[in-house]
Amino acid sequence: MSQTTQLLFKNRVPGKTVFFKDFCANGGYQGLKTAIQTMSPLEIRDLVKAAALRGRGGAGFPTGVKWGFFPADKPGIKYLVCNCDEMEPGTYKDGVLLGADPHQLVEGMILSAFALQTQVGYIFIRYAYEKQAENLRRAIAEATQAGYLGKNILGSGFDFELHVHGSAGRYILGEETALLNGLEGIRPNPRLKPPFPAVRGLFGQPTTVNNVETIANIPHIVTGGAQWFKDLALTPDGSGTKLFGLSGHLNRTECFELPVGISLREVIETYGQGMWKNKQFKACLPGGASTPFLTREHLDVALDFASLEKIGSRFGTAGVTAFDDDTCMVAVTLNLIRFFARESCGWCTPCRDGLTMVRWILEMLESGQGTPEHLEMLKDQLKNISGKSFCALAEGAMGPVAGLLTHFEQEIVDHIKGGRCPFSK
Amino acid sequence: MTTIESQTTSHLLDQHILADFIQHAGEIEHPREMIIDVLRAIQLHHGWVPDDGVELTAAILGLTPVEVEEIATFYDKIFRRPVGRFVIHLCDSVCCWTRGADEIAAHLQKTLNIEFGQTTADGLFTLLPSCCLGCCGIAPAVMIKQQFYGPLTPEKVDELIATLRQEGSA
Amino acid sequence: MLTLTIDNQTISIPAGKTILEAAEALGIMVPHFCYHKELGAVGSCRMCAVTVHTGPMPGVKMACLIAVEDGMVVTTGDETVATFRERVGEWLMLNHPHDCPVCDEGGECQLQEMTISSGHGIRRYQGGKGTYTNQDLGPFIAQEMNRCIQCYRCARTYKDYCGGRDFGVMGSRNRVFFGRFKDGMLESDFSGNLVDLCPTGVFTDRTFRFKSRAWDLEQADSVCPQCGVGCATIPGGRLRELQRVRSGDNPLVNTTFICDRGRFGSGYANHPERPRQARQEDQVVSVPAALTALETQIRATVKQHGPEAVLLVGSDRASLETNWLLQRTAKHFGCRVPVLNAHRQRHQTAQMAAFDLSERLASLQDIRSSDLVLVCGVDPLAEAPLLALALRQAVRKGGRVVLYDPRPVELPCDADRVAVSPLALQELLADGGVEGRHLRDLLSQAKNPMIVAGADLLGLAGLQNIQKWAEKTSNKERPCLVYPVLAGPNSFGTALLSLPEQDDLLTRLASGKVKMLVCVDADPLLEAPEGERFAAALTRLEQLVVLDYLPTSLSRHANLFIPTCPPVEDSGTFINNEGRLRRFQRVLKPGLSLARTAPGEHPPREFSLDTPGSDPQPAVLLLQRLIGQEQPLTEVHRQLVLEQPRLAALVSLKAGEAGVRVAPAVARPHSLDPLPEQPAQTLELVVTPARYGGDLFSRYAPKLEPRKRPPCFYLHPDELQAHGLKDGDAAVVETDFGSFTLPVRSQPDMALGCVLVENSEAFPQLIPGAGLGYCVISAGGANE
Ligand SMILES: Cc1cc2nc3c(=O)[nH]c(=O)nc-3n(C[C@H](O)[C@H](O)[C@H](O)COP(=O)(O)O)c2cc1C
Ligand code: SF4
Ligand code: FES
Repeated sequence: MSQTTQLLFKNRVPGKTVFFKDFCANGGYQGLKTAIQTMSPLEIRDLVKAAALRGRGGAGFPTGVKWGFFPADKPGIKYLVCNCDEMEPGTYKDGVLLGADPHQLVEGMILSAFALQTQVGYIFIRYAYEKQAENLRRAIAEATQAGYLGKNILGSGFDFELHVHGSAGRYILGEETALLNGLEGIRPNPRLKPPFPAVRGLFGQPTTVNNVETIANIPHIVTGGAQWFKDLALTPDGSGTKLFGLSGHLNRTECFELPVGISLREVIETYGQGMWKNKQFKACLPGGASTPFLTREHLDVALDFASLEKIGSRFGTAGVTAFDDDTCMVAVTLNLIRFFARESCGWCTPCRDGLTMVRWILEMLESGQGTPEHLEMLKDQLKNISGKSFCALAEGAMGPVAGLLTHFEQEIVDHIKGGRCPFSK
Repeated sequence: MTTIESQTTSHLLDQHILADFIQHAGEIEHPREMIIDVLRAIQLHHGWVPDDGVELTAAILGLTPVEVEEIATFYDKIFRRPVGRFVIHLCDSVCCWTRGADEIAAHLQKTLNIEFGQTTADGLFTLLPSCCLGCCGIAPAVMIKQQFYGPLTPEKVDELIATLRQEGSA
Repeated sequence: MLTLTIDNQTISIPAGKTILEAAEALGIMVPHFCYHKELGAVGSCRMCAVTVHTGPMPGVKMACLIAVEDGMVVTTGDETVATFRERVGEWLMLNHPHDCPVCDEGGECQLQEMTISSGHGIRRYQGGKGTYTNQDLGPFIAQEMNRCIQCYRCARTYKDYCGGRDFGVMGSRNRVFFGRFKDGMLESDFSGNLVDLCPTGVFTDRTFRFKSRAWDLEQADSVCPQCGVGCATIPGGRLRELQRVRSGDNPLVNTTFICDRGRFGSGYANHPERPRQARQEDQVVSVPAALTALETQIRATVKQHGPEAVLLVGSDRASLETNWLLQRTAKHFGCRVPVLNAHRQRHQTAQMAAFDLSERLASLQDIRSSDLVLVCGVDPLAEAPLLALALRQAVRKGGRVVLYDPRPVELPCDADRVAVSPLALQELLADGGVEGRHLRDLLSQAKNPMIVAGADLLGLAGLQNIQKWAEKTSNKERPCLVYPVLAGPNSFGTALLSLPEQDDLLTRLASGKVKMLVCVDADPLLEAPEGERFAAALTRLEQLVVLDYLPTSLSRHANLFIPTCPPVEDSGTFINNEGRLRRFQRVLKPGLSLARTAPGEHPPREFSLDTPGSDPQPAVLLLQRLIGQEQPLTEVHRQLVLEQPRLAALVSLKAGEAGVRVAPAVARPHSLDPLPEQPAQTLELVVTPARYGGDLFSRYAPKLEPRKRPPCFYLHPDELQAHGLKDGDAAVVETDFGSFTLPVRSQPDMALGCVLVENSEAFPQLIPGAGLGYCVISAGGANE
């Protein structure tokens, strides 16, 4: 295993949390100091654009472009919101990061707030991450004590207050507009877009929502420069490093910081240390539960946003969940659909009721009661749900179904023909 | 707002915390954003959120009970029905499933002699399925009182239950 | 104007419209659920999918959400979207019970229509269905949650549009519940709109349950008679019973909403005490005989005592046609002009509206889009409920409402409320000082300023000042409009018709020359203040004749009584607060309902040509017969317009239409009387209509009982203390209209220096709009 550049995990010591002293000792808050004293907000925004950083929350939207839409110079209150809902199965990188090094995020938040000229920030954090929330509260207190938060930060005249906001479950809170509703204390259904949060966000004010890992990258871009950051990736389309959360049938299911563009094979074989119980690799979710499956034929694909889109999947959150060849892919898909149907917010019909229908079809197929009509129905549901729901939840839910139908239709047929799941013992 | 602080709410919230909430709600521009905080605090104190907990939250924040209920019933980590002293959230999402969550589920149900959604007769344990807990690396996992346990085996489950039983009877 | 093509048809339509609206304008129906023209689009149901072939991101789009663009090409029936809509239909039906044959919504179910138009027919899903436990939402609304398709329209209606805060959305995923926190009567005064807005049978009119199937109802476009707003309604009846009222659609007035008072307050039509037979001195007589007797008596009285001896009285709840025919009748018999409104002050303020303000009248539609509404002396929920909803819509769009009133006015929206006593409010309007200047500045600076003026509380002097304010704050770019809140459904019309030489009722009676009083759809005892003086005058009459459809007390005193018909059994015209002519059409013929003649049983097996209880006739018809000139309504209108050119629109007016404004008149100059001094040691008396039971109709509406409040006096807590009283004590209040004993209630949101009392059946003598009044309060009477 070759040593790769560690930015986000550079302070990480398993089982320990790094706080203010150690964080500073290892160069923490240097980026903030230089930037706030030598750079204008616009320069930072341009730098982030040049670094080609793409959002780490799943959608992969170029952060610099998003920040470019933000009315940073508009007077009045504006918000920066950090999305730490992280509830998509297979995704746990933000939790690991905040468990190890909360100041990474705090520094990133202050820098981003300065770049976007927002006065108030929220870190919205899922219920299960209470430990991480405590880490953040302590880090915020320490940063405030040091004068990095609050009024007139480092004598720049810039004010920024930062809050941690808890949740009480539900995956939909990760969708940025649902998250804003959740923060406001109203029902967390997603909002209609447009208007986008940059125009009307939290409490009706301009707001930017970014993922934990996205924001934690900002200080590194500021210190290292755009080109350096881009060059960290192994592919020309990629940029920076990425936290990969490994799970499923692998020998080592941990979170690694690896360069963007690393091959799937290397991730599985080198970092995952091969398949669990000496079985064969069959398929994986490359970037969380909503990304279409990759199979053995994709082992040499480079993991970055563009390459995966080209082969009909998505880089998502880089939560890689691997499945061995004893796994029934209909059952995997059913498990995933059960998750999505249960986490639907109940707002739009394709998701609320369509996923119920898909779940039922998969239940019929998996239990051996399926007929060729059910297979047709499944294809038909895929066609009619994808791209037609109100938010991306149902869209994401159909990712695995799409993968199943593309790569494992034969397995469905075997279920129908045999009248049972061929993998059940 | 003094009417909110009374004997009839002491089973729901520590009176100091209540006073803090009332003060904070009076200070901030959008008290509504505190709904989840108040509900979670009540749950922490009382184990779950009864009807008067919803009403208390509404009174603190200047809302109507249904405006709080709309939120309380959306989130799955707010309990609007009684639960046991230890709520076992067993992850049933894909990563845990690949590592044997089904087996753990069966084992837990057998050991506790309850089904998902039920509470043991002694009021100690409630067993609930949960979506991904962010424990994909230590699958299969459970969350109990916001603490995680994994990777679990039937033996480790037995140990865990025994420890909790002991804690519960202490 | 933008031009686009939908299904190969081209349309030009203003920017800002959606594809759905453009398609509708072309007559292309795109199925939809969650979209409703008043609630707007939220894009949740996904039923309205169409294909957009142009633009940077072509593909399937929701027609309700996408604004039209120039050159856009849209198809609504291509394979992709047709299939998708069929799937949406299928998904919506996953949990829906198959109870259409017994469902209360049967026959008017939008789900049924949309499912069929989506193309979904055969159920493929065989999984489990969700079921719910229903809530008891009180006497008005029944809930059947299993039929819910989660279109969220109910919550958007109740919470967003109407501002109710005791109803909401609970749960999530495919387990979403719409209801209250706990069982109990819905609190909003607009709760009934759930019935109209729910596209399926979840929320239905509980008072109408199991009475009729929708297709069996006799229905017609009507106008609610219960206040001056004049909302479009569609009453429905069967078996001679008025069984329900639902909202019509008048975009200029009420849109598709009505209040609960109008919806559930129609019991007067079938009231068990409704007089249905003509009576002469306690003897039942036939209607023709009664008319002949009336004619003979009028002729004899005029002949013997002269034109002053017979006094005809109309009212602001009688139609324009009835009031005009009263004038005709007077002329016919050579009597002096009739009194069209027994309430002198109300009549004066209505004239102010009908003449002086007529150039600058605001409609509710104007108010809904105003950025600043100054509300003076109005409690909208009590006096003009739909006005409250209009104010809410203004606030939702970013407008501001500033309200001056002595009462603890509740509004379903934010408002800057200032509690002032009536006298202080008059002073503010008259001179105003710094505060008045500030308010006028606000109005001058607003883009779309409106003043809502409560005629009852402000009186003539107040309205005159309002007119001045409006003039001063108008400018060339935009006027400052006024919405006068008048008392009756036809106050405006009555005022417009009245002739300059009309004296008020008491003056006429006091002259001692009146021997015979003929009240037509009018009861001065209940509809005018100073009832005691009126009652005394009654005893000096030789003849009291009453033609009415309400079982009022006056009819019991009548020497001659002839039953008439309420608006649902009549066709005619009202002119509402905004000077809009509104036509109502007969829904039912008069007659005792089958529910009364054969309660729960088979109808009587005797046969006769007469319908039991069908003697009542519309007052217009009776008056025409009285003067021997039976003419169709069109002819009445033609003649009316000849006399009153301002009503030119009357001739082409149709029921169900939005209605036309009367032509404006020129404002008259006014001289203002100085304000009277308040007698020492007194409190100001504020008489206000009760929200339920304040208007005459809702007193005879049994369904509204649950909403009525027990009578009491309201005082500010400081005032209570100053008078040595506490909340709940019994107190005696001495007024010009007598003294009353009741419990007092503490009301911190009202003005100091006032006693507030609601006019209702408990206090028929205390009638709003009688001008500034004073009273003395003291402890006394039995405690509660
Ligand atoms: C159903 C759903 C769940 C999501 N969950 C998360 C999440 O847990 N964390 C996250 O950062 N983004 C999540 N997203 C993506 C966010 O909507 C948003 O794109 C992201 O927070 C933007 O930040 P980024 O540009 O920095 O990635 C989710 C999106 C959807 C549709
Ligand atoms: S796709 Fe629709 S129902 Fe599903 S989460 Fe998004 S808005 Fe809610
Ligand atoms: S009507 Fe357009 S989405 Fe419901």
